[in-house]
Formats: sequence, C-alpha cells, structure tokens
Amino acid sequence: MGVDLEQILRPIDSPLAPYPPKFMTVASGETLVIRQVDRDEIPTLLLHVEPLLHVERDFYDVVAARVYAELLAHYRYRMQDEYVLVGQIGGHLAAIVNGRTVSPRQGMSLHTLALRRGLRIGAHCFAAKMEYHIDILGQDEVLIVAESPIGFRRWMIEYQLEKRFETPHELGGVPSYCLTRALFDRARSSLVVGRRPVPPELLAQAQAGILPPTDPPRPPADLLAATRAMYDSTGTALLLQRGRQELEAGHA
Amino acid sequence: MERQIHAYACRRCGALHYPFRMVCRECGENGPHEFDPVPLPKEGTLLTFTFVHNLPAEYEVARLGLGVVELSNGLRMLGQLDIADPKLGMKVVGEVEVVRREAYARRYGMVFRAA
Amino acid sequence: MREVYVAGIGITSFSRLEYPLAEIAAYPAMLALRDAGLKAVDQVYVANMGSARINNQTALGSAVVDTLGLTPTGAERIENGPASGASAVKQGFLGVAAGMYEAVLVTGCERMREVNNLEATDFVATMTHPLAEYIYGVTLPAHAAMFTRLYMERYGVTARHLAMVAVKNHANAMLNPFAHLHQPITVEGILDSPEAFTNNPYVAEPLRFFDCCPVSDGGAAVILASREKMAELGKPLIRLAGIGQATDTLAVFERPDPTDLLAVRRSAASAFAMAGLTPGDVHVAELHDAFTILEIVESEEAGFFPKGEGHLALEKGATALGGPLPINPSGGLKGKGHPVGATGVGQVHEIVTQLRGDAGERQVAGAKVGFTCNFGGFGNNVISMVFVREE
Repeated sequence: MGVDLEQILRPIDSPLAPYPPKFMTVASGETLVIRQVDRDEIPTLLLHVEPLLHVERDFYDVVAARVYAELLAHYRYRMQDEYVLVGQIGGHLAAIVNGRTVSPRQGMSLHTLALRRGLRIGAHCFAAKMEYHIDILGQDEVLIVAESPIGFRRWMIEYQLEKRFETPHELGGVPSYCLTRALFDRARSSLVVGRRPVPPELLAQAQAGILPPTDPPRPPADLLAATRAMYDSTGTALLLQRGRQELEAGHA
Repeated sequence: MERQIHAYACRRCGALHYPFRMVCRECGENGPHEFDPVPLPKEGTLLTFTFVHNLPAEYEVARLGLGVVELSNGLRMLGQLDIADPKLGMKVVGEVEVVRREAYARRYGMVFRAA
Repeated sequence: MREVYVAGIGITSFSRLEYPLAEIAAYPAMLALRDAGLKAVDQVYVANMGSARINNQTALGSAVVDTLGLTPTGAERIENGPASGASAVKQGFLGVAAGMYEAVLVTGCERMREVNNLEATDFVATMTHPLAEYIYGVTLPAHAAMFTRLYMERYGVTARHLAMVAVKNHANAMLNPFAHLHQPITVEGILDSPEAFTNNPYVAEPLRFFDCCPVSDGGAAVILASREKMAELGKPLIRLAGIGQATDTLAVFERPDPTDLLAVRRSAASAFAMAGLTPGDVHVAELHDAFTILEIVESEEAGFFPKGEGHLALEKGATALGGPLPINPSGGLKGKGHPVGATGVGQVHEIVTQLRGDAGERQVAGAKVGFTCNFGGFGNNVISMVFVREE
C-alpha cells in the first residue's frame, strides 16, 4: 500500500475559537457586518480578489497577489492555522482580512484588503482581526507589517506598535512590528468598535452569499498609463488611444 | 546655555516683530535689517490649540500638540505643546528644544508646558 | 479697461489621474478650446502649485503649450499656493482687459496623488511660515483646527454644523460627474452612531476626517475673451465682472483677531466694488471649503451672512441646493476635490456652468450672478471673483 502523500503535505490545523460576528454603522450610514468565512466561501472571494491583481496603485497589486495566494493555500490545505474574516455591506464584499496563529500565545497578521474605499472599512476590519487574536483567541501579541504607506499610517502610527525587528515577518521576511495586549487595550476605546449580537436577519443576509463589491478599486482607464513614463517617452500611442476613448465620450 | 528664540525690535519705532520681516510693518521707515534681536519671553497664555493626528512623515508619534501662545510681552507665537489636557487660557511656560528632525538636521523651536 | 468674458470651459474628473501632469492641464484645455470654438489663443497661463516638488517638473508653461501643439504662443506658469487657479484667471483677465490679447487660455492642474498621503501633507504644509510654523510640524488641517476651536468657543459653531457642511457637499458632489467623492455620508454615520468617531477620526482636533477635503488630481480650464472676440464666437455672455485680491500675514498667529479671515473680507469687498454689485445680488457661490469650517466663515466674510451667523444660515438650509443662496453646488473642495492648482479654475468652471444653465440636476434655477472665493495658504492670499450673465 502506497503512502498517502496528501496526508503528509496537508497541515493539521489547531482548533481555533470562532470569531463572533459583529456589525457597525459606517460613515455613509450603511451597516457593515464583519464575520468569519469558512473554506467553502473562499472560491467566491478569489473571484473578487483576482481583478485587483491589475490595480497598480496603492500596492493593490502586491497585496491582492499575496491575498490570492494565501486564500488559495487555505482552500487547498497548504497553510496552517489560517483564518479569514470578511466585511460586507448589504451582502456585498467590502473587505477581506486574514491572519494565522504562530503559537497559542502569538498571532501573525497577514493582509487587509479593502474593496470599498473612503469609509475606513479596512481599518474596522483590521481592528476586528486584532480583536480576534487578543480577545477571542487570548493571544499575547500579534506580529504585523505594512506593505503600503496607507497601512503604515493605519497600523504602526495609529496603534503605536512596538518594534520587534529581531523577528522577520512571514510577509517578505521584513522586520516585524508588534501589537501587544497593552497596546490593544489602549486603542480599544478609539479604534475597536462594533456591536453584538448581529441581528439575525442582517447575519442571514451576509451569510446568504458574498455579493460582488459595489465599487472596487479599478486599474486606470488607460492600461498603459502606469508604465508609460518608463517605456513610451513620446506618448504617441497613448494620446491616440485616449483621444479616441475620452474626447469622443466628451468627458474625462 | 539656555537657547532663545528672538523677536526683532525696529530701530526707528521700536515695534516688535516675530517672526522676522525685513521692513517694519508699523512704521515702514527702517532700512532692511535695521532691527535688534530681543529674546522672546517664555511664559504666556494659551490662546488656542490642536492635536494633529496626520503628520508629515518625519514624526513617528500618533499625535502632536500644537498651540498659539500669547507671550507676556503681548507677542504671539506657535509652539509644540507637551501638555496632556490643555485648556484655553491656561498659563504655560516654554523651552527651546528640538521640534523637528529632517534627515540629519535638527530644528529648534519652543515647546510649551503647563506653568 | 476692456470687459472680459468666459468663452469656453473644460474640466477633468477630480480624482486620481494616472497620466502626465502636462496632459492633465492640456486635456481640459482642449475641451475649453472646443467649447469656445477656437483653435488658437494669444497666450496660455498654467496654474499649478506643486509640479517642481511633487512631479519633478519645472517650466510647466512650456510643457503644456507644447503638449497642446500651440507653440509658438506665449505661455507661463502661475504659482500662488492653493490660490494659483484664481491668480492665473486674474492674469488672463488682465491680459485681455489691457487690450494686449483677444483670447487667452487659463488652465489649472495638479497631480498630488503621485506621492503618498504623508508626503502630500508635508507638501501642502510648505506654504506655512518656514521658521515660525513649518518646523513645528504644523499642517493646514492644524491651522484650520486651531481656528475652529476659537470659532466654536466664540460663535457656538458645533461639530454638528461642520458635519452638516460635509453631508451637504457630499450630496451635491453626487450630482457632479466630475467630483472626486461619489460617496453619500450621513450625520448618523459620522457623528451619531456608536462607531461614528472611529469612522470619522480626528485629523487635527477638533476637525475630523470628514471635515477635510480629499487629496485630488485634476485639471480645469477656461478661455477668456474680449467682447469683440465673443461676437465672433456666439457663446453665452458670462462676464468676469469683478476681481479682488488681498493678502494677510504669513504667520497665522500674527493676526490681531484670530477668528477673522480679513483677506477674504477684503478681497470679496473689492470684487463686489469692481462689479458694482453687493453680496445680496449673488445667486450661487463656490467657496473654498478645504475644511468644513471655511465654508461657514467665508460665507460670513464674503458678506452673505453676518459675522458669526453663517452656521445658523446653514442650519436653515439657506446654502443648500434649492435654498436662497446655494453654496458649492459642485460639491466644493470637500466633495468635488482639491487639486490645489486647479481648484480656482474649477470654481470658475462651475459658476460658468451654472450661469449658462448647463448644470443639470444641480442647476441653481435662474442663476445670473455667481461668486467664487479661492483661498490660499490659511487665508494668506485670497482671490474673490464675481461673474455676471449678460443677455
């Protein structure tokens, strides 16, 4: 009888307490629901992450590529102890956050991907992730890095994270920052919000299915624009292309 | 040595200026640079203040206190606040300290604390 | 002095534009030329604040005129902080009024989102006093915040009034296809719900996120022409009837009354005097609401409401679309966006659109007299303009 190789390759997840869903009002007056998703919902998420691979701004491409890999690895059992939370507004996907546990005492924050911008949804979902590690799983600290300046301002500066530079982070091997329980307690009143329990009809709507994001970040209208400065110093091809698209449409 | 920030007294009319300008705004009669530096007093009254949360990249703090102080000689100046819970009208006293680091340069300015 | 008219207008979306700065200026210029029915002008003025620092490009006038294929027409860049746009319009006005030119192009542009938010904040802060303000880490929101605290104390303006400005201007921006923020907000979401203060965190206390305009890219252009030229073009006669400019001390703390915006008061008064009109004649106004407090205070200093009562007028809906004096029907800087060099020209674009009756869903019915206020620095350098529709 041959060895079942899959059994060797597949990590054994530690049991993690589930994240209790919560809800909150965002600036637009709409209601955001943050809840944990299980493996079955991952393919739907992949569908909505994939287009962001091509958004070459604010590091959406890098973050989307890594989130895609992490979600796929979770779905196909190639990542140990990972969890995924989503933020939804009216069922529509607004943000994805994920992370994993390194040990019972230490968590590793992976990514925060906002699919709707301008309402601090990413910040709310990041806070929910920290709440999961510290309050729900009872860990002492979470290792964090930022890949974008927006992330740096949000996490390192707003939470006043400690430097834990001797520990490389799993994302890119760069020096880690660390959220400790004490720092989280200090941020709790201003940054960590949300109400529980989620009204049953609201939760049912969120769980009924992850609808596509309503206004996701999109690549620039002109696909070559981002690379243009480097490769097309004359700009001829682009002017022609854009001239057709925009002048005829009559607006920019 | 105690550091100072200077106001400038017009040699013609005596008007005090802070910050520096080349021609006196009061009399307009002086030639360029006809001013005598006068150390600014360090005690005063807090006129208004804020805590800034979105700071330029050099600052690695979550928020920075800034306030306008009316000094004991009637001039006003902006300074950083090292006061946890400022109140309009409170008495403050300043010290000249590093207020900004740009690469290897250190900029000195007034930092006010509760008197 | 000859009379000067707006012959053509053009604008890009105020949002994030990922193409070269010269094209951000040239694109609305092409639209404005087409609107005026012109292929050439006598002079090009380019308004921009940050190209040298943010976009690593100087001599923008040369770049824009060449991008437009308009060489050998004369061209120059006008930089006057966030009032660059209105400054350039003023220079164009002078060229035509003096009789030197028959038609000129004024185009404003900014590409601020090429840098991250930390650098953009620092770039904008470079307009403060280098030794008495900038070194302390002061930002424009910090100036506005210290001003707001005094205004709240003295006149009873509250966070709710500020939120009402934001909600109104976001709602107006929903009706403007060129606006940066197409995002309705509610007072509940930014002020009243248990999560409001996390949704709407402090930027500089007491100002919050939704009290501040976004950082935008964008361009806007106008063609100014003499009456003789207008007769050839057959466009609606929108006359630039009054321009006023005033400055104030660079260091904000030096001003005798820290709740006054004297430069706004003086520039508006000279603009009205030049036009031979009064604030009561105005049907629609575009004010420089880089911070919500500024819309309230400018509406007072311009003379629309008594000092200290702007927030009461706001409460009554006087400044809403459909009110007696709609302010910022375009969404203002708050909703439409604030590409600093383009903003002053963008305000003119909106007023001309309104006076022509072309503003669609956000049209102010029967608007014949419009007012703009472009506010540079923290009230260091302000330009007000009055526009009149002639029949």
